Amino acid sequence: MSSRDGQDILRRVGEASVLILISLADGSKHGYALIQDIKEIAGVELGPGTLYGALDRLERLGLIESLPADDRRHPYRITAPGAAALRVHLDSLERVSAAGRLRLRLGGI
Amino acid sequence: MAGLVAIALRCYPARWRHRHGDEAAELAALLIGDGTPAWSIACSYLAGAARAWLTPRSGRRFSAAAVALAITVCSVSVSAGLVASAAPARAASDRPSQAHGPARCRPGDGTPGVSPAIGRPRAFLWEAGHDRSC
Repeated sequence: MSSRDGQDILRRVGEASVLILISLADGSKHGYALIQDIKEIAGVELGPGTLYGALDRLERLGLIESLPADDRRHPYRITAPGAAALRVHLDSLERVSAAGRLRLRLGGI
Repeated sequence: MAGLVAIALRCYPARWRHRHGDEAAELAALLIGDGTPAWSIACSYLAGAARAWLTPRSGRRFSAAAVALAITVCSVSVSAGLVASAAPARAASDRPSQAHGPARCRPGDGTPGVSPAIGRPRAFLWEAGHDRSC
């Protein structure tokens, strides 16, 4: 799976998956580190069930990969298609955000 | 309280437990150590387990379809059962008013202050006789 033709494939994967990809963008992490990092950067406390569901989905889509277990923990790493998909999604969010700010300005609100 | 988490983890499919089970238990222990309530972690894992069972995997499309079919059949069966059990009672409560006239069914017949149709189960009305079921 890739972000061919600039298609935003992350639009339907849910917020948790996007946050995980953002967290993995600067290096591999295991589950506990992901939860802590996401809490710090987004103020969102992911439940462990949500975390593993999202990790499984992202791995199935080929956007992340599991590295060999370190003790009992599996670190995860973002793949090249995952990084491309994240870039497309963040660009899309930026466009929507800019449009929203512009309209708020035009509306005088 | 950690027992709750262990029970929740046992709700996952075997393939999931094989893959993530040890790590998930360790993660739960770390989160509990940080002050997260065990029941909250258990709930999260329970919801995750439900999703894991319902998420179709390649080669398991038939299973997912079978689960959907089973849910549909159960829903239809329960609805049909409810309709079937209500029909005789409705017939019972309709018939006496035609046979004996509306006078026997006016409010105040039977025990004062108690509606017989409400105070007794419908199945009982059907067996007890039609003339008493107003």
